[in-house]
Amino acid sequence: MTTTTRQDIDLMAHLMRRAAFGATLDELEQKAAKGYEETVEELLNPGDPGDLSQDAIRRYHVDHSELRQMNSAAGNWLYRMITSKNPLEERIALFFHSLFATGYTKLNQARCLLNQIDMFRQRGLGRFDTLLVELSRDPAMLLWLDNNESHNGHINENYGRELLELFSMGIGNYTEDDIKEASRAFTGWTLGNVEYMAMRAMKDSIWPYSRIAWHFQYRADDHDEGEKTFLGESGNFNGEDIVAIICRQRATAEFICTRLFQFFAADRVDDDGQAAIDEMIDSYFASEYEIGAVLRTLFNSDYFKSDAARYARVKGPVEYVVGAIKTAGSYRQPTLGIDKVAEQAFFMGQGLLNPPTVEGWHEAEEWIDSGALVERVNFVANELADTSQPGVKAIIGKLADANGGTLTPDEVVDNCLDQMGAIAVSDSTRGALVDHVGEHGNLSLSDDSSEQRVGELLGLIAATREYQMA
Amino acid sequence: MTTVTKSGILTYDRTLGVAAMDARGFYYAVALAFRSDGRLFVQGRSHDGDTRGARITVMDYDSGYYGDFGSYGSGDGQFTWPTDIALDSEGNVYVTDEYLQRVSVFDSDVNFVKKWGTQGSEEGMINGPSGIECDADDNLLIVDHNNNRIQKFTRDGIFLKSFGSEGTAEGQFNLPWGLRVAPDGQIYVADWRNDRIQRFTSDGEFVAAYGESGDGEGQLYRPASVEIDDAGYMYIADWGNERVQVFDPDGGFVQLLKGQATTSQWAQEFLDANLDENRARSESDLEQYHLLTTDDPHEVASQIETIFWSPISVRFDSEGRLFVLERNRHRIQVYAKSM
Repeated sequence: MTTTTRQDIDLMAHLMRRAAFGATLDELEQKAAKGYEETVEELLNPGDPGDLSQDAIRRYHVDHSELRQMNSAAGNWLYRMITSKNPLEERIALFFHSLFATGYTKLNQARCLLNQIDMFRQRGLGRFDTLLVELSRDPAMLLWLDNNESHNGHINENYGRELLELFSMGIGNYTEDDIKEASRAFTGWTLGNVEYMAMRAMKDSIWPYSRIAWHFQYRADDHDEGEKTFLGESGNFNGEDIVAIICRQRATAEFICTRLFQFFAADRVDDDGQAAIDEMIDSYFASEYEIGAVLRTLFNSDYFKSDAARYARVKGPVEYVVGAIKTAGSYRQPTLGIDKVAEQAFFMGQGLLNPPTVEGWHEAEEWIDSGALVERVNFVANELADTSQPGVKAIIGKLADANGGTLTPDEVVDNCLDQMGAIAVSDSTRGALVDHVGEHGNLSLSDDSSEQRVGELLGLIAATREYQMA
Repeated sequence: MTTVTKSGILTYDRTLGVAAMDARGFYYAVALAFRSDGRLFVQGRSHDGDTRGARITVMDYDSGYYGDFGSYGSGDGQFTWPTDIALDSEGNVYVTDEYLQRVSVFDSDVNFVKKWGTQGSEEGMINGPSGIECDADDNLLIVDHNNNRIQKFTRDGIFLKSFGSEGTAEGQFNLPWGLRVAPDGQIYVADWRNDRIQRFTSDGEFVAAYGESGDGEGQLYRPASVEIDDAGYMYIADWGNERVQVFDPDGGFVQLLKGQATTSQWAQEFLDANLDENRARSESDLEQYHLLTTDDPHEVASQIETIFWSPISVRFDSEGRLFVLERNRHRIQVYAKSM
């Protein structure tokens, strides 16, 4: 049995900030004892999520059952993120939600959007070609990018264009003719009862008996059976053939690996980062386009483990909110207010199921402007200052067990930083936190005000620059 | 398979209601109850983003509409998570609220009278009141679901007795939901997470349990509500399986209903006023089972509009017609007995 070092804990904390939504010190110690690569494999090979059951959620939250409204569906997803034992499934779904951004405002179909998210969860760590075919059949995507209006002899290029530009290769790697030919290949890929469903979506109609969830229909009688030439290859291509050709391209590998790198490793790509991306590209081809294999290469790379990658990403609002809630231990049971949490994430700049455009969110530093920062700090301060929440209580309990329940300001700060997930802060940040605690002297857990002081400190830590980063 | 029974098999009759945020119609309706004059009281609920569902719609079998009352909130006469509704012999209305931990009382003219309830686990306290029924003596039986027990109160909220505890043994519960007092005074409880119906004497003594977990005939998954006829047949809102089942008095399977909704009068009036939607709807096949890629009943029900989706409350009217309330479709399917 190996001995767990402080470096092991810090590295595990780094991995869990990226591949999960953070972890408590107890969890980090358990995972570090198990080993880094073993933990990576657990993340990549999820089992039963063991999340809060949909039966329970649907019983109490009526619209989590019907899933008519955007915030209800977003709240439903938040429950999953908060309670799932498979955090990487949720992170990869969040990644593809931004990459293949599909939004409620045009569709008025929250259930279908959440079904798309579930497809990302199911397929997101598998083969990229399989995922792209599923995406092309996805009812929400079909209507979002107007493929329901692309017909044999009268193509609508919207989906074909974005498939190449935003979803797989990036601009400059194909021609306008390739877009047209791809669009021809996807004719006939539509929804059942498409006219009625599109009309209801456009009119935001819930009448007479509320939404009817969509399903895919392939209309052979509306598919262009003619010869097509796409990226230099010719044949009577259907949509699956187009995806197969796309996934063979070097540009596709570079595109998807770079986006994965930026989501999981660092906002900016330097030379060392590019070397890691090159390794990911090799894995992409060696594994026949398997995203899980690409991520395994990334997580086990020297770059990912290096100091350069630590705190090199700005947390997106959703990962920030979910991380704070997991620390607080709230929303583990159906609770009035979860939909408002989704709304809070929107105020911070990331409305789940409501990306601003088909390009998704502008991430990195753009997550944080002054307004978004205020929203962030206020939310987590309230969440973590609630000493009735089980996660906060647990941290207080840990402090009570330390040094007989009486701690110096330095000890309080160091313990809280550790309990919140082995958070490393600068000397100046730590000094400010210690000064704040020190205003009232040592902390004795037997004092009436002690729990409130701890809650305040947790909120302050969540407001630090370091906590905004992952 | 259907079996002709002493109580007769059920045949589809009609659909009532329409989705509506305000006034005529329902918005996440969760419970129904009849007044002695045949008027139907339909309790609606809300979700976090839209509070307009928290009201009681009053209507009848012929789609007559008589207004609504109640609203969202925590004040007098308001609801946050209303769960069930009951009427006593004088037409007073009782509504449980599992978030506010109380019972709200309205008189027969639907004016707010009072509210009562104290959160806790001691006798007479409640934690998550859900199903509510008025017995022949005008006492109230309440499913105190987070305490896994049934409690009996006077109409004024004076505690009388309780029975049940958490567990899976006979007479124990796991988050029970609806209940019904049978014509003979026995008490039937939808023992939600134990996937069964339990029967008790009027004094709370365990008599029998019916059903087991599953999706086959005679099996249940998260039952929400139960109705009993004079012969002791059980009509069960098999909520988690998105269907209604009929059991004989010994628990034997009799009939399975999956739902076959048609256009209600209120729905038709909407379609008559929206001709483009009416035309597109009439040209659609709303039962495209061949295109489904799932057999999850919840997902199937979300895509096939005619079948039950979240059947949550079942009640007979005075004519012996079974009303099945569907929370997610905002409507009621009515079934009549055919001898």
